Amino acid sequence: MNAPTDVLLEALDVTLEYDDGSRRVRAVDGVSFTLARGMFLGLVGPSGSGKSSLMFLLAGLRPPSSGEVRLLGKPLPASPDASASARREHVGFLFQEPFLVPYLSVRENALGHTTDAQASARLDELAAEIGMADKLEERPHRLSGGERQRASLLRALANDPELVLADEPTANLDQTTGRAVIDLLRRQTRAKGLLVVTHDPSMLTGADRVLFLRDGRLVEG
Amino acid sequence: MDAAATGRAARRALSPWTYLLRNPRRILPLFGIQALVTCLLVLIITPTNAFEATAEANVRPLEIFTIVSPRLRREFDEELLAVLDANPHQQERVRAKMLWVRTPMIVGEGYAPLIALPVEVRDAFLKRVELTLVDGRLPEPGEDGAVLHEAVVRARGMKLGDKFGQLIDPTDPTPGRFTLVGTLAGESRMGIADFAYADQPFFVLARRDPFQVVYANAGAKDASDAYLHAATQEDGESAFRVVDDDYVRGRIEANLKNLPLILGFITFSVAIVVALVIALLNMIAFQVRVDEFGLLLAIGHARRRLVGKLAAEAFAVAATGWLVGLALGLLGVWIYDQVWLAPQGILLRVLDPRPLLFSMSVPVLSTLTGAIALARRLRRMDPVAVIQRRGV
Repeated sequence: MNAPTDVLLEALDVTLEYDDGSRRVRAVDGVSFTLARGMFLGLVGPSGSGKSSLMFLLAGLRPPSSGEVRLLGKPLPASPDASASARREHVGFLFQEPFLVPYLSVRENALGHTTDAQASARLDELAAEIGMADKLEERPHRLSGGERQRASLLRALANDPELVLADEPTANLDQTTGRAVIDLLRRQTRAKGLLVVTHDPSMLTGADRVLFLRDGRLVEG
Repeated sequence: MDAAATGRAARRALSPWTYLLRNPRRILPLFGIQALVTCLLVLIITPTNAFEATAEANVRPLEIFTIVSPRLRREFDEELLAVLDANPHQQERVRAKMLWVRTPMIVGEGYAPLIALPVEVRDAFLKRVELTLVDGRLPEPGEDGAVLHEAVVRARGMKLGDKFGQLIDPTDPTPGRFTLVGTLAGESRMGIADFAYADQPFFVLARRDPFQVVYANAGAKDASDAYLHAATQEDGESAFRVVDDDYVRGRIEANLKNLPLILGFITFSVAIVVALVIALLNMIAFQVRVDEFGLLLAIGHARRRLVGKLAAEAFAVAATGWLVGLALGLLGVWIYDQVWLAPQGILLRVLDPRPLLFSMSVPVLSTLTGAIALARRLRRMDPVAVIQRRGV
């Protein structure tokens, strides 16, 4: 396990409640944990356990009903719009579906959202490393499913983020490709923080810590 | 070098042109509607200047001389002639009669001056108004001959030897009877007849007033006209009815005074309808981009910046559609002028600023309504809902 040097992400007793018709739902219930630099944190749980809700809380896309999320030591603003610049600067996202803007090339998808002047050179290196060097000028519709997920990975990492949040990044991939994506993520985020949400615990081999979520509560960690 | 490459890719990714050029099938309906409407507005509005352009050509001679007739008397008696000759700015005056010749316009008809002059002053007059005889001959003394401007001849479909006037056609506003004996060319649309002929009784019965053509000294036309307007006879009454360029232009402007209002109303109404259609099409086009904007919001793009991107795209489509519509409209107007109007002697200003200004309301309103509709949609967009819908 890598020794953590500083804290990247903290969840402090966070709760997320919302109304579902006449019913009040508590999707996340008093979750607390810390993700330090160099750490690979896994989050597993059955379907409907609140994994995605917790991920959206951690990303600042949903404000917690109570508790606090701190990114790089600073509380995330309650409004998703107010936390946008922090998200863009410090966090890389990888989703289950390889979200890519269809009319942009892989390079444009990756660099269109970066604020880092060195991103282009980093992107070329990353692309070479993950076998996408010859695909950088292609549009998403010309890529296979695995290539699209790797293109999403390039976008997530192009800005050299402090933290990568990956929500079910291997759900649509076969076991081998999924394993390769996780290995890539791990390699590229060794000096950063990585949080992988998955329903498949086998993808978390080598994780520094694995959190289990059930009915919105951490049951083990 | 690397920073420049990063900057280029980032700019390209968010540039409105990137989306527009790479999604031509989605853009084409928006672009096409705006180009077509702009083109139609140019084709509708521009020909309305034919009234002014043709009337202006008819007025042009009055920048060189002024026509004066007695206001309250039937003739120029010695007293009125004395008042005329007391004009310190007058260079020369010539006895004349003034008639009008019917000229077809783009809608209805206009009237070009036909001045009956004594033979001895004719050549000097033609030189002053910069008209030259291009076909036929000038009328002989006492003859019913008339020379008309070539555009008027063309517009009326006449040829040398043709006759015109009330004695030939009762609906013709030109009194008497004339035979076309020649055609004139030049900027001023007017004709010349013989004074001795036009002084015959049936012209008097037709109540053609006696006129004097007054030439002012060089640079003193305005002062001379001011004197003629202010001149009074012995009893203190105004002495003359003065037909100068200001008077005729005033009449033309009074006749056309509601035209800009009507054009503005038509254009604005069209622009509003088009803007609503464009807003609707923008919303439909946006539906297929929900994932794109949900993603951009999720990864940290500011909503305001994305609204700016959508507004820039809407503006780029509107502005391009407008420019292409203008170009097509101008081409259409030019063809219309060459094929239809010019052969009829109808003047048209192909390059007219009014269609440009009026039709500008189309891109402005389209951009505004499109951007507002998309901004409202984007403001309500929840990126989490978009991501979850995609199966996260």
